[in-house]
Amino acid sequence: MNFTLHIWRQECAHAKGHFETYQIDNISPDCSFLEMLDILNDQLITRSTLNSQLSTTLNSQLSTLNSPITHPVCFDNDCREGICGMCGLYINGRPHGNDDGITTCQLHMRKFHDGDDIWIEPWRAKPFPVIRDLVVDRSALDKIIQAGGYISTTTGGVPDANTIPIPKQDADMAMDAASCIGCGACVAACKNASAMLFVGAKVSHLALLPQGKVEAAERAKKMVCKMDELGFGSCTNTYACEAECPKLIKRQNISRLNRQWIEALFGRDGK
Amino acid sequence: MNLPKIHSISKKILVGALGAFLSFFLLFHASANLLILRPDGGEWYNAFCHFMGTYVIVKILEIGLFGALLLHAVLAIWLAITNKMARPKGYHKPQRSKTHAGSKLQVWTGILIFVCLIMHFTDFYFVKIGWVKGKYMVQTEELMKVKATQPEAVSYAEQKGELSAKGTWLANFDKEDKVALEAAGLEVEPDFYHQAREKFKILHIVISYLVFFVVVWFHLRHGFAAIFQTFGLYNYKYGKAIEVLGQIYTWVVCLMFTAVVLLVYFGL
Repeated sequence: MNFTLHIWRQECAHAKGHFETYQIDNISPDCSFLEMLDILNDQLITRSTLNSQLSTTLNSQLSTLNSPITHPVCFDNDCREGICGMCGLYINGRPHGNDDGITTCQLHMRKFHDGDDIWIEPWRAKPFPVIRDLVVDRSALDKIIQAGGYISTTTGGVPDANTIPIPKQDADMAMDAASCIGCGACVAACKNASAMLFVGAKVSHLALLPQGKVEAAERAKKMVCKMDELGFGSCTNTYACEAECPKLIKRQNISRLNRQWIEALFGRDGK
Repeated sequence: MNLPKIHSISKKILVGALGAFLSFFLLFHASANLLILRPDGGEWYNAFCHFMGTYVIVKILEIGLFGALLLHAVLAIWLAITNKMARPKGYHKPQRSKTHAGSKLQVWTGILIFVCLIMHFTDFYFVKIGWVKGKYMVQTEELMKVKATQPEAVSYAEQKGELSAKGTWLANFDKEDKVALEAAGLEVEPDFYHQAREKFKILHIVISYLVFFVVVWFHLRHGFAAIFQTFGLYNYKYGKAIEVLGQIYTWVVCLMFTAVVLLVYFGL
């Protein structure tokens, strides 16, 4: 399969970015999206090496000054099996590309048509500044967790299973919420760059279980305040986050967060 | 002096609460409009309008309604501006996520509703406060009171006006008639029954109102379920039911409004 790639290139956080176009041919339909970018990077490295050898030979270093960025395309990735939340590209208008419930590393080239133009952009949000090319700084999500996304009480050693009875439904909902990998696709998809699904999931997976329930409202309050402080937008119930979440986390978690916010304002934790 | 900081969720809760109040008012308004379809010469509908225009509590609620409408719009625009700031640089490719158009365009449908409301107020509400001319009516009871002192005015009114089914109202007066009747010391009220029936006979006004109702449908379609979501009531158990209820509510309200306009236009 052959593709025309339009990739956002940006030297550093403060540089002005732009799209560069690359033609890439003979890609297997079974190739993953990140493998396709690896192949592109191999080609860029080879081309860059040849160019520099040629430039040295001809002693015309000046000619390279106006040429496009020659370093390989920088993009985040780690496990490449959809569990670490490291990869994240905005592909043809959708975070993680044209499929549901997957991360970018799980996207395969068979999901595209031969000859397609593919536009690849970094996550766009004020709290996610671009570091280089397609790599963004998502530490804002860590800061939200640091603000209160934990249980502060000392709960002692790990209790035996079933010592504390937990309804199956609650355990399932907590598990579903806990599957959030913090990739930031919800922020990237939201027209307001809101992190409500992320915060909702992080609040829910603790609030649904006995150990986390005690501080639930206070936790919601701290995390939402941090989210606002970091410059994330607010939720307007568009649910693009739910549609694009690679872990299929539901909007009900946002609803639970809202409920706990109200509790924090008017309830016992609002003191 | 620093203004108190309102957190994003608190702003949403305020917008939602005001939206809930406005949504409820829409159902009330649409239900009342059905009285226009009664072939009673405006007997019931004008009695209802008379009650709405004279009862003190309703007048206070009217101020509350306008306040809610304004605050709902101001808060929503404030949210939209802060949300825009959360993504200073947008995407090159437009978003293709699977979301309902109503939710993506909520701010725009809200602005369109405001524009349509100006048209609606020009047709009806501004007549009530005397900014534009329309149709007027007098209570026959009022007329009888001045019959002895103003026989000419009464006979003029009886000649020009249309009597409602039970004879409570003498209606369908124009601006000139209103001036003459007021000069005779009669209390003249807007006649929204004949006003509506006259307006909804004009094609371009009918089309404008149909567009208005489509915009309201989009706004309400998203807004209804969003209110429950904002108040944390949208859960796994009742989520689907809320969606269905929202659809029913939206369709019922919009169809009630549409039915009145179309049925009057087709002379039914």
